[in-house]
Amino acid sequence: MDAFALELRGIVKTYAGGVRALDGVDVTIARGEIHALCGENGAGKTTLAAIAAGRLRPTSGSVTRAGNAGFVPQHPHLVDRLRVWENVLLGREPRRGLRLDERAAREDVAALGATYGLPVNPRARVETLDAGAKQRVEILRELAREPALLILDEPTSALAPAESDVLFDVLRALAARGTAVLVVTHDLGDVAAYAERITVLRAGRVAARFERGAQPAAIARAMIGGELPALAARTSRATAPCFEARGLEAGSGAEALRGFDLEVRGGEIVGIAGVEGNGQRPLADAIAGVAPYRGTLHLDGRELAPGRPAARIAAGLRTIAADRQREGLILDWSVLENLALGDQRRAPLGGGLTLHRGAMRDRSASVVERFDVRAPSLDARVSMLSGGNQQKLLAGRALAETPRLLLACEPTRGIDVAAAALLRSRLIEARNAGVAVLAISVELDELFEIADRIVVLFRGAGAGEFERGAFDRARIGAAMAGVRGR
Amino acid sequence: MTRSAWAALAVLALVGAGATLLAGANPLAAFAALLRGALGGPQQIAETLVQTASLLFPALAVAFALRAGLFNIGADGQAVVGGLAAGLIGAAWPGAGALSAALAGGTLAGAVWGALAGALRARFGGSEVIATLMLNILAGLLATYLLSGPLRAPGADGPETATLPASAWLPLLAQDTRLSFALPLAVLLALALQFVLARTVYGFELRAAGKAPEVARRAGIDLGAVAFSALSFSGAIAGLGGATIVTGVLHRFNPALSPGYGFIGIAVALVGGLEPLRIIVAAFGFAILQSGSLTMQAFAHVPRDVIALLEGLAIVALAARRAFVARAPVPP
Amino acid sequence: MNDAFAGAASFAALTLVKTAPILFAALGGVLCERSGVVNIALEGQLAAGAFAAVVVAGATGNPLLGLVAGVVAGALLGFVLGFAATRFAADHIVAGMGLNIFALGACAFGIVVAFRRPGASDEVAALGNAGEAALIAVALCAALGMHAFLYLTPWGLRLRACGENPAAVRDAGLDPARLRTIACTLGGGLTGLGGVFLALAELDLYSDGMTAGRGFIALAAVIFGGWTPLGAAAASLVFGALSALQFGLQRSGIPSEAMQALPYLAALAALAGLTGRARAPQADGVPEERRFD
Repeated sequence: MDAFALELRGIVKTYAGGVRALDGVDVTIARGEIHALCGENGAGKTTLAAIAAGRLRPTSGSVTRAGNAGFVPQHPHLVDRLRVWENVLLGREPRRGLRLDERAAREDVAALGATYGLPVNPRARVETLDAGAKQRVEILRELAREPALLILDEPTSALAPAESDVLFDVLRALAARGTAVLVVTHDLGDVAAYAERITVLRAGRVAARFERGAQPAAIARAMIGGELPALAARTSRATAPCFEARGLEAGSGAEALRGFDLEVRGGEIVGIAGVEGNGQRPLADAIAGVAPYRGTLHLDGRELAPGRPAARIAAGLRTIAADRQREGLILDWSVLENLALGDQRRAPLGGGLTLHRGAMRDRSASVVERFDVRAPSLDARVSMLSGGNQQKLLAGRALAETPRLLLACEPTRGIDVAAAALLRSRLIEARNAGVAVLAISVELDELFEIADRIVVLFRGAGAGEFERGAFDRARIGAAMAGVRGR
Repeated sequence: MTRSAWAALAVLALVGAGATLLAGANPLAAFAALLRGALGGPQQIAETLVQTASLLFPALAVAFALRAGLFNIGADGQAVVGGLAAGLIGAAWPGAGALSAALAGGTLAGAVWGALAGALRARFGGSEVIATLMLNILAGLLATYLLSGPLRAPGADGPETATLPASAWLPLLAQDTRLSFALPLAVLLALALQFVLARTVYGFELRAAGKAPEVARRAGIDLGAVAFSALSFSGAIAGLGGATIVTGVLHRFNPALSPGYGFIGIAVALVGGLEPLRIIVAAFGFAILQSGSLTMQAFAHVPRDVIALLEGLAIVALAARRAFVARAPVPP
Repeated sequence: MNDAFAGAASFAALTLVKTAPILFAALGGVLCERSGVVNIALEGQLAAGAFAAVVVAGATGNPLLGLVAGVVAGALLGFVLGFAATRFAADHIVAGMGLNIFALGACAFGIVVAFRRPGASDEVAALGNAGEAALIAVALCAALGMHAFLYLTPWGLRLRACGENPAAVRDAGLDPARLRTIACTLGGGLTGLGGVFLALAELDLYSDGMTAGRGFIALAAVIFGGWTPLGAAAASLVFGALSALQFGLQRSGIPSEAMQALPYLAALAALAGLTGRARAPQADGVPEERRFD
């Protein structure tokens, strides 16, 4: 009866505290259409997707669907210890009497994979799979319920460019069979290639609508609502030796580092490029001292011992953790106390039995000012701050005193463009002041903006090094995908 | 207090009234008897204060560990071990200083008992919930064994030691009562803990480890050291409590010196929001229930177990206030 | 020779009698924990099962009705635990502790109210030797049955998924909160059956403190057994044998407390990893994170 798979009218979503995530959004998706929902972080895309999937109820407005909606989250919601077939058919398990019919289940899953072009091994335990395979399993689980609409949240964030192409082929085939597809993404590179229609959200409202073939630049402008803020200027300066990694072996599985060498000099920004899951986490954890490794790490000529984060902090290492809410900040604590984490044993904040609250306040005031942190007060709980402000706190804490080496992991993940630009500027200013900066980021464009040198990581090994001025997107992309050769 | 707190209190009152009726008594008369028994006169108030001190030590022990994200369910066992050490040392110490030695010994013994669980947690990641629970029971078995044989007082009816010499008695605060310096000691301890948690570097690191262990680890905090020290201190506090009961109330060691106080201490700690100063008030409130219940049983003929019944329900209700208990997951 | 055989047989029988209540409680605990709810209230559930069984059997003169009452009592406590843990995101340990204190207090209170004297009930109609043997058989079958249920049926699969990643279960269109509550209720009923055994088969009455820490031994059995039904059964048998051994060794020089201490020492050893790295279900004790509320 409908030619529409999904019709959203006047969607408003207000959260406790009066935050309006969505303010009157209309979107229509036809059957068999591939639709892209774009917007920067914090624009409301994920909220809208959840409402479209039926996971969340809107405060007001109507949602009309032609059938089920399947939802593939950005990070997999799979049961690691169970097998692929158990995950895919959970809730719809084939039975013989009271027993699970395992053989039928495995055959069903294999057939499903063949039908949709998503090959999986039904018997494998999910914990052994890489990111791409896990995503296939998750998609199959949703497709097994034969939805009228399939929603994918940032599906390309953990995929290499080649894998993304395969995914789009699958989505196109799916659309050809009549299933509508909604892709939520802030990555504009591929959008124009596969999406028939594009809706851009900004600050909870529809800012623009585009059709296939639109210019990425136009889409980006609609997302930001203007031009990008300017970055801090880079000063040319002499660099000095600072940090060195030799023969680093860390991590396990496909992304284990095997004999990785790296040098970061004071006064330069080295960017580690690569698709998520190629060794970034073992590298960061080894440098930060929170995971075991073999090989040597030297900071200012002194060797760092494995497993001693405190010693590294004393030696001048500061980290911006990859997951701000789980690794960087204590959400229940105040801004004041969070900014003291890591330095609580040293002057001026500590250094004896008691904490020096006066010094803590001074530091907090200074960081809040330099990094434009919008917080009700220094005693406000960090959980009340937006993602962008939380990330600024993290960076501000790392740069509160001038470190020797700054390890920045995904420094602008999941934050709005203005905050991202400010943070990138601060990183450049730190570099100008002689800090050795190691930036690990899956966002290649970010590294293009800030790095002096880019090292590509693929499967735990260096796959190419590129100097600023010779950042060749095609060659770097190929290196990220493991394509070797000149 | 919030609306849901009032609602919970109302439910508890209703259940209490219902149970009282079931026992064939008048709820109001029972409640009056309870209050009379707890606060009706100087003797009664003194006894309530004795109970306050007895509850305060295990509650502080539980709260301190919980702030570090660790669950010490074995405060009773640590009290038993502490009391045992205090009893032995107090009896055997020659000359002056027997009391101080007994209290110190009790504290140390409790610390060791807590440290066992702490070591299992720090070194092997073993759940301290299970460890303290098991050690609780083991402490009881140890005490029973020692007292049915080697340490039994000659001529005693039950398993207990001989009366301690006067040099090992905690001085009384008020004559003709059981109220001793245990209470001011407990209050001072609460103040000290409040200071440690809020103002010291150690307290900062402990709280960080309790709230967000992964964040704390990356901030250079040694989680194993925090777990070990927190459980050791927690055991020490409970052990000191046991020592004060032996030297201040019983004047001998009896394995039943801490009947379930460790568990009620959890409720006291939670009601006090894990803040030492508020725990003092909470302990007083629970002490009223404990000491008044005997009178309630004697005069209103309501079995005092109804108090345990209500305390259990209160703990379940408190469990729903998640803000209190941020449990530290076991490190990989 | 015959004496030795008779001695061994009676030791085996005594072992089974000692094992049964622990096994019932441990199996109830396994079901709960596998679904993701930590259950330290086994002691209270045993007591409640025993108490309810005695009261109803005493009032009606029918031990089978007492059995049903015991199962219901345990199930009710299990329901409260599961409900509090899922609906209110209550901390499992604290709630379990509260239920223990509540149940033990309620039973002591109830003894006075029901039998007009504190401490112990009158003797009530019991299940007799046949009933005792039947329940033992039920316990052993329950271990096998739970294994089959968890690993061979769809509902067991869903339950295990709840204990590992409730978000995945919700994505599959199921309700992990409901599944957890059901698991806790059924597990509680099983534990209650252990109390019934204690009261109506082994001892024929209820007295304060009769559970004597068996609930905590059962908890040790769950851990020692790696959170699986067969493992818990094996551990329960070991602890039952230790308990039976106590009687035999009473006249030797070994103090009974040392024997009683063995299960608890075994659990501590398990914590130190001496029994291998068995893993608790990944989401055990972790409430479901509801991102979109």
